[in-house]
Amino acid sequence: MAEMWISMGPQHPMTHGLWTLKVKIDGETIVDTIPDLGYIHRGVEKICESRDFTQITPYCDRLCYASANTWSHSYIYAAENLLEVEVPERAEYIRLIAVEIQRIASHLMWLGAYCPDIGNLTAFVYCLREREMMLDLLQELGGSRMHYNFPRIGGVKRDLPHGFAMRCRAKVKLFLQRIHEYEALLDESTIFLIRTQGVGYAKPEEMVNHGVTGPNLRAGGVNYDVRWAHPYSVYDELDWTPSVERSSVKGADCYDRYRVRLDEMKTSAELILQALDGIPGGAETFHESGDPALIAKAPARASDGQTGFHHFEDPRGESMFYLAGGGDERGKNPYRVSIRSPMFITIPYAAKCMIGYKIADVPAIMGSFDPCIGETDR
Amino acid sequence: MAADDWFDVRGAVAWVTEQTMDKTIGMTRFWEQKYWLSEFSAEFAMAGIIFVVTMLAVLGPVWMERKLIARLMDHRGSTIAIRSLWTGEGNIRVEWWKDLPFGIGVPIGWINGFLWNNFGNESSNPKVTQVGNRSYAGWWWALPGMINNFADFTKFAIKEHMPPRDADQVTYEVAPFIIISTTLLVFAFIPYGPSLYAANPDLSLVYMMAIFGIAPLGVFFAGWASNNKYTLIGGMRSAAQLTAYEIPLLVTVLGIAVLSGTLNIIEIAEFQMNNTLGSVWNIFLMPLGAALFLITMIAEVERTPFDMPEAEAELVEGWWTEYGGMRWGLLFASEYLRALAACLLFSLFFLGGWEFPFEDSLIALPLVGGIFGALFQVVPHSAWLLMKAWLVFGFFIWVRASLHRVRTDQILEFGWRYLLPLSVIQLGLSIWLRLGVYDGGPWPLVVPALITVVAVVLFVVLVLDEDEEALAEQRRPYHVSEINKASPGARINLED
Repeated sequence: MAEMWISMGPQHPMTHGLWTLKVKIDGETIVDTIPDLGYIHRGVEKICESRDFTQITPYCDRLCYASANTWSHSYIYAAENLLEVEVPERAEYIRLIAVEIQRIASHLMWLGAYCPDIGNLTAFVYCLREREMMLDLLQELGGSRMHYNFPRIGGVKRDLPHGFAMRCRAKVKLFLQRIHEYEALLDESTIFLIRTQGVGYAKPEEMVNHGVTGPNLRAGGVNYDVRWAHPYSVYDELDWTPSVERSSVKGADCYDRYRVRLDEMKTSAELILQALDGIPGGAETFHESGDPALIAKAPARASDGQTGFHHFEDPRGESMFYLAGGGDERGKNPYRVSIRSPMFITIPYAAKCMIGYKIADVPAIMGSFDPCIGETDR
Repeated sequence: MAADDWFDVRGAVAWVTEQTMDKTIGMTRFWEQKYWLSEFSAEFAMAGIIFVVTMLAVLGPVWMERKLIARLMDHRGSTIAIRSLWTGEGNIRVEWWKDLPFGIGVPIGWINGFLWNNFGNESSNPKVTQVGNRSYAGWWWALPGMINNFADFTKFAIKEHMPPRDADQVTYEVAPFIIISTTLLVFAFIPYGPSLYAANPDLSLVYMMAIFGIAPLGVFFAGWASNNKYTLIGGMRSAAQLTAYEIPLLVTVLGIAVLSGTLNIIEIAEFQMNNTLGSVWNIFLMPLGAALFLITMIAEVERTPFDMPEAEAELVEGWWTEYGGMRWGLLFASEYLRALAACLLFSLFFLGGWEFPFEDSLIALPLVGGIFGALFQVVPHSAWLLMKAWLVFGFFIWVRASLHRVRTDQILEFGWRYLLPLSVIQLGLSIWLRLGVYDGGPWPLVVPALITVVAVVLFVVLVLDEDEEALAEQRRPYHVSEINKASPGARINLED
């Protein structure tokens, strides 16, 4: 049969965003792929050069629509590195809780989007049901449901609200029970197993060479979690281990990537519970906004030559921010902001992983890498 | 006997036409032609009645698809119970019976209060689980959501017809006609009851399977003529899948015909109920055949997990991507018509047709037998058949809600490697049952009981046959046949 190119995207159910995957097929077999990115490039890095350091935070929220909180935190840590701020420990704990709730919500969004990709809409509804709980918690913290603008340079916007600890514990424990429903629906379904096992092998050494990070890399057996390898917040004070999947010789298949995310959701839930217990001052006390226990005074300007950098464990991989100070004459703006998006690096590799499989595996493989185009195109 | 009740549609139609023809004797020159004229008009009227009945019956699956799948997906939600259709549930509970006059609604209130108090959904976390039954308006008798189907139909009807510019215009326009007309023709020989059928030739089973097999041709035409790569792949997949599943289906149906000793659908149904006591439904005689028939029929009507030809994740909408407006609406309706036909055929072949479960035994009961006898006199038997068909469709929806989509190569492998040999085994079993066991009278009760027990035990063993240790250790409990990676450099170059 003759080979032909199929253009999947920019409007296609498989894409989970706005991009194009050109697939060369021979019958049903994929022979070649070309990913085509950049449809929603907004120039966030350039916009940031004309904003002062506080104004940049909401822009970073908008980098990823599934996991806004982690991106604004990622920026905030880099900015604190640049401005040399010491953050109160209570604020670090609150940030950790917010980020881990966001991680669960993001992984639930991934699982909810992945199951319709291989033909089951029920899991989508189940996942969004639990994601709703997580969004309710984030709404209590940040006041919004999608773009929270929660962290501040030097601390957090406000303290845990009254009764938050109780509600958070209840919902997280409920979530830990409900996660068994997914395992019953997916792990015990032969069709799910034959659709995901043995499909989309990604070799660990190739992933390291390409710079793939996050759950996709840990699915291949490489124990690299920024929270664990280079602990930045109070992660080293909590008792946890990163979830790493023991993959086969051929590498990590879609099922490994599914398992590692499911385990990571459990880890995140336990981290939240631990953080609620160990937060200095107790989770029930409430400080007014601007209290020194929540936010430290930070300089508003960085002079020319100062640089700030931070790498952060995003739900999709290792996100990095690089800031150079001294943007305008008074040093209010950054001179340059550079963002390292994990998915921008993962998507070309995921497209390579598809070669040799069938067309029906395109959504199964691509979806398992959890693409988010907002951060990819920046 | 289940064969005769007061709902004698054919008899009524024949009587009316006869009377009409009698009245016209002497007024027309063709009075000698009375007999064929009356027969012709009777058949014509029956065809019209069956068409109307089919169109009304298919509203059931379309409505069920919406309501039941919503309830399956809204696990732990407030609409999980079917009674939420008529009373509401969760934080919205409508006690409409209190408005009924003279307090006649009090017993209804007792029943619903009992259900709420004992089987209501747990709302340990009110903000999460109680979304509320938003669509509920209190008019349970109007089947909430049913009117949506008519709104959808109106929307399809007023849309513009836009064929793709480079499509093969003739084939593009002809393909929906092939699919829709053959789908309607399926219902020509499907009986809705002992006297509610359009036609009843001796070989209706053969015709049925032949007409079922024409639609894939139309699907292939549609996929090719749309001049779109997605539709082309969808049409190809459809052709491959339907040929792979047509053969096991035919062999299974042959097994039914052998067991029943006839190629007529009505006689197959009557074979399961024509003995006063000891009549046995085919599902207890050939459970394997029932499973095979159900699986192949799900594949034939292209529902999940075999909806590969229209896999929306990778092929957008498969072979009907380029159809819009009324053509899409009719294709979609024909999809449900085919599903309804599959459910009706399953009920007729395996679930005893229009017989109520244990009907004769219930009538023969000492005390309450009279009540049951009156019930079966009052309710036409067609109602039982329709209910069975809708229940089978409920099973289809359950399957759709719980399973994923199988890949093309896995579908074909499953069809050729497992279903075909199993259907041949089933044919052999049917031949043995017919020739070795059946003696023309009622079945000895030991035979269906033994077969059913063996089937249930086999099913349980197969379900439990998992490598628990492998599941715990490696999480790789199933053998997965892996695809060899294509290596573009090593391919044979056909142009050289």
